[in-house]
Amino acid sequence: MAADYVSPFDDRVRAAEPLAPRPASINGRRVILLDIRKNRGAEFLDRIETLLQGAGATTARSAKEIFSKPAALALIDSIADHADLVVEALAD
Amino acid sequence: MTESHPRRAGAPALEVRRPVPGEVTIAGLAAGGAALLLFVSEECPTSAMALRRLGPLCPAWQEAGLTSTAVFEDPLEVAVRVSRRLGWAGQVAAEDPPYTTSRDYQLVSVPTAVLVDRAGTVAGTVTGWDHAALVALIGQAETLLGAELPVPEAAEPLLKPGCSSKAAIDPELAAISAQAGSAGADGIEEMFERGWTDGLPVVPPTPERVEAMLGELDGSVCLGLVPPDMGEATLERVASCAVLAGCRPAYFPVVVAACQAALDPAFNLHGQAVTTQPAGQLVVVNGPVRDAIGLNSRMGALGPGFRANLTIGRALRLLVTLTGGAMPGKLDRATQGQMGKVGFCIAEDEEASPWEPLHVERGFRPGQSVVTLIGSDAPLSISDHRSRTPEDLAWVLAWAAASAWSTNWWPLEEPSVFVICPEHAEMFRAAGWTKHRLREFMFQAVHKPASELRRGETTPFVHAADPAAEVPKWASPEAIVLIVAGGEAGRYSAVLGPCTGMGSQIVSREVGSPWPPTT
Repeated sequence: MAADYVSPFDDRVRAAEPLAPRPASINGRRVILLDIRKNRGAEFLDRIETLLQGAGATTARSAKEIFSKPAALALIDSIADHADLVVEALAD
Repeated sequence: MTESHPRRAGAPALEVRRPVPGEVTIAGLAAGGAALLLFVSEECPTSAMALRRLGPLCPAWQEAGLTSTAVFEDPLEVAVRVSRRLGWAGQVAAEDPPYTTSRDYQLVSVPTAVLVDRAGTVAGTVTGWDHAALVALIGQAETLLGAELPVPEAAEPLLKPGCSSKAAIDPELAAISAQAGSAGADGIEEMFERGWTDGLPVVPPTPERVEAMLGELDGSVCLGLVPPDMGEATLERVASCAVLAGCRPAYFPVVVAACQAALDPAFNLHGQAVTTQPAGQLVVVNGPVRDAIGLNSRMGALGPGFRANLTIGRALRLLVTLTGGAMPGKLDRATQGQMGKVGFCIAEDEEASPWEPLHVERGFRPGQSVVTLIGSDAPLSISDHRSRTPEDLAWVLAWAAASAWSTNWWPLEEPSVFVICPEHAEMFRAAGWTKHRLREFMFQAVHKPASELRRGETTPFVHAADPAAEVPKWASPEAIVLIVAGGEAGRYSAVLGPCTGMGSQIVSREVGSPWPPTT
């Protein structure tokens, strides 16, 4: 039998967030491209944006304050309000 | 190899523990119509994949009458933590050595999924990850329940072998291992088995030790959420980390202040905890508490030998690693890391310093005990036994940092920390140099034409500058932090490069200040 110890872990069981349903097509969808402000991430998004527009999507750009911090809740809410889909770019 | 082995036999009884009170029985689990037992182990990647892929389906299965339980061949605490991290939404159970339940189910490898019907009969078994076989097994459950059940997506890999069940290990080998002292009876070894360590032996956090660490403090008080996994830093968990690190209870107020500072959003621990950079969290202690608890600020100030220095820094790092989930190689993505990430706590030798100490510079009174957190790289030692003027010495010290972060990355916004040894400090004292004068001189000393910096990794600032423009190493003199520490003999100072690009600010907290932080 294991001894009794005080755990340093936060052992609360948290429910996994389900993935949002994936669309069958991006034609006519509103897509926000989120620049996390990593070096050259904008270049990557430029290319993705061109491809998305070619596929019939309406695009807009947004950006995090800084790559090393989680996105602000206001930004997440704004994206959720104004977009059907979001593309987030890593880079370096 | 994975294959389906339907066994029409009674399901053996379960000798397992659960995080909730009450006995767990096959009859109880299958009372809704059927039960799925998923035998897994923390060390097994295939088990992790099975938990991740099947976990989100559990609530829908439960609603239809299929109760799913992950049975870990690990300590219960490990089982709960791993389940949470992998998104397993079913029940959790754990079995202790010698893994009687796994033996009774004739397990060879994990994961193994076992479907049991309401009568307690084994309806089917799948070993390893075999998507088609698992879908078929869930189909059998649908038949038993007369209801539709969701199945895992057909994502690659569709087939993945499992790992050896701990019950399948040769009993003689297990006995030899136990005789060698590696069994759970050894508290230190058990900490390794649980993963409650940074790779070094730790002190098991028994309730008595944690209680002694807390003293009169309320363990339920929360200092904040520790990124990246946002675990709650209750004082009890902080105390557990302090015990694991080897702290004496007298150190705990300093540990708490360090945690408070680290959890200030301005410090951006989140970025530091997960970055590929080697950045660690440098803890600088000022004030009377240094002598009160035996922090060393003199000979060997940046090195080994002193319990308070080594364990306070380590307690903070264990909080980040365990409570915060920044385990190296997992959420901690440091490419190489550095030994300062085990823990790095230094004290300033205010008595040997010609200048106001760091905490006074930052607005505290000299008599206050203060902890200051700085995101920083490993120290680079700077030998200078030959300078005969403060100008020469300041020039040598400053240029030692020219390659901090990266050779051509100028200017640095973030702080470089210079730890000035007493002999070097004495030269500045004798010449009447203030800290302000030294900092300004160092700032002015290190600059290069932009044209010489346009190679490899460099800054947008350098690219935008006129090629002949002189670019300083630091964006401002304030990016040069000066403290004094070290032995009285020897002319070795040191510089610690920054954690860059994260907007991480230096944060100070008074030892014994109220929590949660008010500023």
